[in-house]
Amino acid sequence: MTITLYHGEPNGPSLTVLAALFEKGADAALERIDLAAGERHGARVPHAMEVDHSIEGEGPILVVDGIPMADSVFLACYLDDVGPGPALRPREPYDRWRMMTWCRYIVERVAPAAAYLGVAANPPARVPQGVASVDLAERWSDAVEGKIDDARRADSRDKIAQAVERIERELSDGRDWLIDAFSIADLESYAWLAGMTELVPEAFADRSRTVAWLARVKARPAVARALTMATSAAPERIWAPGPEINRWG
Amino acid sequence: MAETPSVTLYHWEPNANSGKPMLTLFEKGVAFDSHYLDLLNFDQHKPDYLAINPLGTIPAMTHGDLVLTESTAIMEYVDEAFPGPRLMPDSPVDSWRVRWWMKFMDQWLAPSFSMIGWSVFVGPSVRSRDPAELDAAIERIPLPERRIAWRKAISGAFSAEEMAESQRRVAVGIGLLEQALGQRKWLASDSYSLADINGFNLAYALPLSQPHLSNDELTPNIMRWLRAIYARPATRSCWALGRTDMARRVTILEGEPA
Repeated sequence: MTITLYHGEPNGPSLTVLAALFEKGADAALERIDLAAGERHGARVPHAMEVDHSIEGEGPILVVDGIPMADSVFLACYLDDVGPGPALRPREPYDRWRMMTWCRYIVERVAPAAAYLGVAANPPARVPQGVASVDLAERWSDAVEGKIDDARRADSRDKIAQAVERIERELSDGRDWLIDAFSIADLESYAWLAGMTELVPEAFADRSRTVAWLARVKARPAVARALTMATSAAPERIWAPGPEINRWG
Repeated sequence: MAETPSVTLYHWEPNANSGKPMLTLFEKGVAFDSHYLDLLNFDQHKPDYLAINPLGTIPAMTHGDLVLTESTAIMEYVDEAFPGPRLMPDSPVDSWRVRWWMKFMDQWLAPSFSMIGWSVFVGPSVRSRDPAELDAAIERIPLPERRIAWRKAISGAFSAEEMAESQRRVAVGIGLLEQALGQRKWLASDSYSLADINGFNLAYALPLSQPHLSNDELTPNIMRWLRAIYARPATRSCWALGRTDMARRVTILEGEPA
């Protein structure tokens, strides 16, 4: 089995997958690509329908025996299946359901908000050539042109605040991690929220359990190792267009 | 001997999100109590059901004392918690592909289908009722985003641009399904999986609802796939729980290829 991970700066979905890879000790070649420059759409990276139409937007690509795969939570599930390290998902079906519904919430509600605020604060320079997905191409144009809608910005800030409130509630029984033992839910939540402490600081004020949880995730050797791979001083400020904001509201 | 915890599924028609756990339970051979909720009568926002699922979303499943929501996550739970045929492939790459397709359908393709479906079916079905009564029913919906969606459906407030974008996505999605089903027998792997169950619930009525995009000439692989799923005993049992013309659309799959 030959695995190559094409990843961007350790932030958002690239951080999830890099950290999952290191947590599991899976053997993989690492290839850095500039997601914010749209390198995922160029010739350096293997293409497949599942990458071109991934609704995660600009995330990492894991290539296994020539098969390009996308979507960070599911890539982490894959690495959990094949890597020798400790499990990143609970064993019991009900707890696995808790983890998958949590990740769905992050992916569907929190990630679009974080990516929207992230590219608004740090817009990419130009729209890359060859974006196959029409709606992703539109998010690129909006980001580059700075077309930011005030209502969407406000709603995105609310979404971040709501996510922090949920985490605070989850941890209120004194747990260290979101789903009992450390899991993909912690990685995915941290990866999208780490950059929000600077952009939506009020959401984290007086949220001591969440702030302590962020520090615990950051201190894990696998996360720390992923962060050392940054090529910029503040990887949490590097964003590229992410998932779309739900069209139904 | 300890009593086996019982399973109750709260669902609407065998269609979209309700049909996903229904068909999974039938495929696994899990006995369950079926609790039908009439979505168009707002049964899902009444106190009896909110006591089970305070969010007022359909479906929900109880297994003993456990309460589960979110149809795709329920499907994975059913597959893992009960004996019966495995509905996730053995290969980790194929399992990834099952999840990829379910996400693509749940979060990109299905919302476009449902925007079209709500504007032509759900909205008109409830629009003729007393406005004050409808307004009160909508105010009882717990999730703000669902209140917005119901108001849009009832008032027919989807813009022409939104509808055109949904129609564009339906056409793209049909093309990608046809392409994938041209590569292998089932959607995500060589064995029948949760991705097929999910996809069937989204696509079973395609030859009726999108006849210009999906038919035996244009999409032979989609048609082959839909007929193969419809032929399964579990599918027949599941669709027998339908009570409306919506579920009866499935009989279009009884025809042979043209």
